[in-house]
Amino acid sequence: MSKVLVLVPFALDESQIAHREAQTRSVSLRPDVTFHFKPVKAGPTSVVSPHDWMLLDISLFEAGLNAEADGFDAVVIDTVSDSGADGLRSMLDIPVVAPGRASMIFSLTLGRRFGVMAQWQPAMARYEKVLDEWGLRSRCAGVEHFDTPPDFANLIGGKEDVVFPKMESACHRLIDRGADVICLGSTTMHQAHGYLSSVLEVPVVNPGPLSYKLVEVMLALNLSHSRNAYPKPLVPKPDMVHAMLDAAARLSGA
Amino acid sequence: MVRILVLAPFPLDPDQLQLRAKQLDAAPLPDGVEVDFKPVKAAPGNYVSHHDYLLADISLFEAGLQAQADGYDAVCIDTVSDSGVNALRSVLDIPVVGPGRTQYAVAAMLGRTFGIVTMWRQWFPLYEKVLSEIGLADRCVGMRSIDVTPNNRTLMAGKDHALPLLLEAARTLVSEDGADVICLGSTTMHEAHEFLQENLEVPVLNPGPLSYFVAEALVALQLSQSRSAYPKPLVPKLEMVHGMLDGAVISEESA
Repeated sequence: MSKVLVLVPFALDESQIAHREAQTRSVSLRPDVTFHFKPVKAGPTSVVSPHDWMLLDISLFEAGLNAEADGFDAVVIDTVSDSGADGLRSMLDIPVVAPGRASMIFSLTLGRRFGVMAQWQPAMARYEKVLDEWGLRSRCAGVEHFDTPPDFANLIGGKEDVVFPKMESACHRLIDRGADVICLGSTTMHQAHGYLSSVLEVPVVNPGPLSYKLVEVMLALNLSHSRNAYPKPLVPKPDMVHAMLDAAARLSGA
Repeated sequence: MVRILVLAPFPLDPDQLQLRAKQLDAAPLPDGVEVDFKPVKAAPGNYVSHHDYLLADISLFEAGLQAQADGYDAVCIDTVSDSGVNALRSVLDIPVVGPGRTQYAVAAMLGRTFGIVTMWRQWFPLYEKVLSEIGLADRCVGMRSIDVTPNNRTLMAGKDHALPLLLEAARTLVSEDGADVICLGSTTMHEAHEFLQENLEVPVLNPGPLSYFVAEALVALQLSQSRSAYPKPLVPKLEMVHGMLDGAVISEESA
């Protein structure tokens, strides 16, 4: 039996966490691997600026620091921003799956070029950052958004009639620009995956469920990140990081 | 039930095919996953020239053509050259998994860079071909060969002396070339995987078993290759392809 910790990038309540957990039911998973969702203590309220990215990095880092000590066998970050993944990899020996880079790189095994569907204009910058960091720009047909502010608690629930056609239109723009594969730009878009897959001619990669299957692969094959790419710190300061987030939680009233 | 067909790139006898099927021992697949191995009807003698690549492509293509009609849910190719993958993807709707591109993609998820350790340098062009196709050539920081002639029938049998050489080559990839992850240059090197992983600090990918797990994941995620990257032929000539390989078998038998 293996336990996987899924780190949710917002300080959500139980019912909001349930929307996130629904992703695990959209794909057949091994019965001997269980997924446990855990929200961060505090964090930004949007994901549109370097200020937000930095806070997400440290809040997810803190949320996963004890994963190995707590008996988990792997960690998944429930955001395509991959926030905190690099920091956690430098501290943990268990695999840390980052759905953003995983979905883009994985899409290259299915087609020549991928397109990324972003939520709205303010979210565009972070994909530019990822494309540069991972050297994937030449294989990215483009990033298009569907012009809808994100709802991190309820996701798309209740807004399907309005949002799905906008998403479909954004995907068609990506296909027109040469995308062979569509990458959903956020794990929060998972509720639209079934619809988009049914109306589009190209594969649609759903980053959350993909990351769960990749965790299974990593666990089955005893794989984890390379220590050479993610060296351990000479002086780890996990207590300091916990204290920082405890302070943040007090200040944000969480 | 998920049924995966693995295409072996040489016309092997049952014992030789069994050596390939031993890759299944690397890690247990999820319950309900069934894997069959099927050899091609005819093949090049080895994979060292464009003559060979061409024959490899068409022989694997032919071997997999009926996979979907035969009830399989996915096809894997038992060679990191990914020979036949592109053509099979153009005629099959089920996922066709090339272990070459798959291991390079997974390597790029586990580290910044990777290197390829292999038996002989004649295989380097095959790696370059797949790396260029998938767009990850700049992540591959090196290829190191031990220059021990491989045997595509008996695999690593009688080649125990190769193991320390492979380890040394892999260590050089890590220490001098900067590889964060090691990829094996052939699915036929699977018998060396455990030894290398035990003796190296970085992840070592075993491309054959990895491809089976990824095939299962693709089926579970209801994902397959993009039709816009692998368009169907306007005039499929599958019977002609079967006829060509049947002709190749007759030629080989009379040779």
